[in-house]
Amino acid sequence: MARFHPLQVTEVRRETRDAVVVTLAPREEDRAAFDFTQGQYLTFRRIFDGEELRRSYSICAGKDEGVLRVGIKRVDGGCFSTWANEELERGEVLEAMPPMGGFFTPIEPDVAKHYLGFAGGSGITPVLSIIKTTLAREPRSQFTLVYANRHVSSIMFREELEDLKNLYLGRFAALHVLESEAQDIDLFTGRVDVEKCEALFRSWIDLKSVDTVFICGPEPMMLAIAAALRAHGLRDEQIKFELFASSQPGRARRKVASAASADRQSSCEATVTLDGATRNFSFPKQGQSLLEAALENRMDAPYACKAGVCSTCRAKVVEGEVEMEINHALEDYEVEQGYVLTCQCYPLSDRIVVSYDQ
Amino acid sequence: MSDETMPIEDYLAQGGLLTSPDNVPPRYRGELLRLMASFVDSELAGSAGFADVINDAPGIKERIAAARIVLEKADHAGRVLEIMGDFGADTARYAVHHPWSARLPRDADIGAERRGGDMRLSVLHYPLEGWIDAVVMNVLMGKAVVIQLGELARISYQPLAEVLRSILPRETRHAELGIEGLKRIAETEEGRRAAREALAYWRPRVAASFGLSGSTRYHMLARLGLRHTPNEALLAEWQKAIDAELAALNLN
Repeated sequence: MARFHPLQVTEVRRETRDAVVVTLAPREEDRAAFDFTQGQYLTFRRIFDGEELRRSYSICAGKDEGVLRVGIKRVDGGCFSTWANEELERGEVLEAMPPMGGFFTPIEPDVAKHYLGFAGGSGITPVLSIIKTTLAREPRSQFTLVYANRHVSSIMFREELEDLKNLYLGRFAALHVLESEAQDIDLFTGRVDVEKCEALFRSWIDLKSVDTVFICGPEPMMLAIAAALRAHGLRDEQIKFELFASSQPGRARRKVASAASADRQSSCEATVTLDGATRNFSFPKQGQSLLEAALENRMDAPYACKAGVCSTCRAKVVEGEVEMEINHALEDYEVEQGYVLTCQCYPLSDRIVVSYDQ
Repeated sequence: MSDETMPIEDYLAQGGLLTSPDNVPPRYRGELLRLMASFVDSELAGSAGFADVINDAPGIKERIAAARIVLEKADHAGRVLEIMGDFGADTARYAVHHPWSARLPRDADIGAERRGGDMRLSVLHYPLEGWIDAVVMNVLMGKAVVIQLGELARISYQPLAEVLRSILPRETRHAELGIEGLKRIAETEEGRRAAREALAYWRPRVAASFGLSGSTRYHMLARLGLRHTPNEALLAEWQKAIDAELAALNLN
């Protein structure tokens, strides 16, 4: 099971007006766990106003840079990204899970492939990691990047991309498409939509030579690009998507009321039997599932998905009344017999008796 | 351009792909995990059921084929379980949380109902009885798995689609191994008689694994990009493929 590890912030670099690049160092014993693959992301957690928030940001470093580095663009109303842009400083310690994600293809040093990348705004972050790693480790491969932004001033990693062009002359091309800024060539002004893709495929990009395409950006842009690519015969296997993890709002959790301060009826006395042993504890009726309460009371209750899906956490309510929020796993007849998914279970009565053993 | 987004439901309805647990909406998460749990449990139960059959194999080649199916189905379960792990599932516990070799009596009639603490397809609750029975079941179920996997390989959760696409050729091979075995069985009149008997037992049970036709659930799953072809169309494809295979072996 994935766990969080401390990462020391060794540098916070301002990249654009609303984006920072954060360099992180794992502890010596965690180095192997943070040995990422190009294109992967880190999931951070931090408490804001007493509530834990988790956010994922893509790694922008290449495999050969020897550092762990993420790009964080400020999102309007985004708690974590605003904090990272305004308050995060060198020396601070962040908590993150080991790198995850499959936005990459395996590196094969001997191949001569043509990769095409589409990035929109901060979608450049994982694509940059892929570009750097691929060009360094596949000396015969080439990479063409189409990078969409609103203005020149909002382009992340602009200088780094220029440096890469010079370093990998003839193997790396970057086309900047700016939405609200005129450029010498009309083609490079406007949105990256199906028509723009068609125009690019006619005059600038030979799709027949392309082996794999990486796309990371906002949803409408990804749909348009994918549609244009499929219309030109590219197969699903050749197209790798990465959707912004942070574009979707965080899930709201019900607030946990402290059992001690709440009145009698807002908490529930539970008697839970597991592996032949019975325990009693009290827990709030709202905000915490029966499974979570049992785990918190150091019961080794079985669970897997915590989504009301796998039915691993099934138990039988022997006395009292509960409400199941989601049930994807139990059949009607099981529910009639009193079975519940404890991960989805909230008490309605002041007292419940539950058994995991039946 | 760079920060313009759209509701995730619209994105999915238009064929968009999701790429990490962080950007799946709650309902999608539930349905996706359910699909994966059903796949994992079915592969584990299928592998466990076939393990006993290895010792019924009439020759070395057949023994290797059965062992290979046991090995690879367990591997396929492991690969999908890993994706469930990304969603917080305790994969180590999951893999052992159920006795995968457990079966109901041969004459139990459970229709398409799931039983007990796991999500395996109902057909995998029935016990195999000897080599011919196992080969017949593998021919029928093997073809069903290939068709159902082909459907799921288009799923809108990209990490799962990639794993399923890599699994598909090996599952296709398992189905072919079944056909090869059935060919040898069908060489004798006695073999053909036993095979027909097993076909009569397994065919309706495997057919039930395609789910209900006109399923209301299907439309919800289709909107989420989790399904693309209705149950009845997949079932019809399977019936047609099986009819052709059996006709070729003079078993229809």
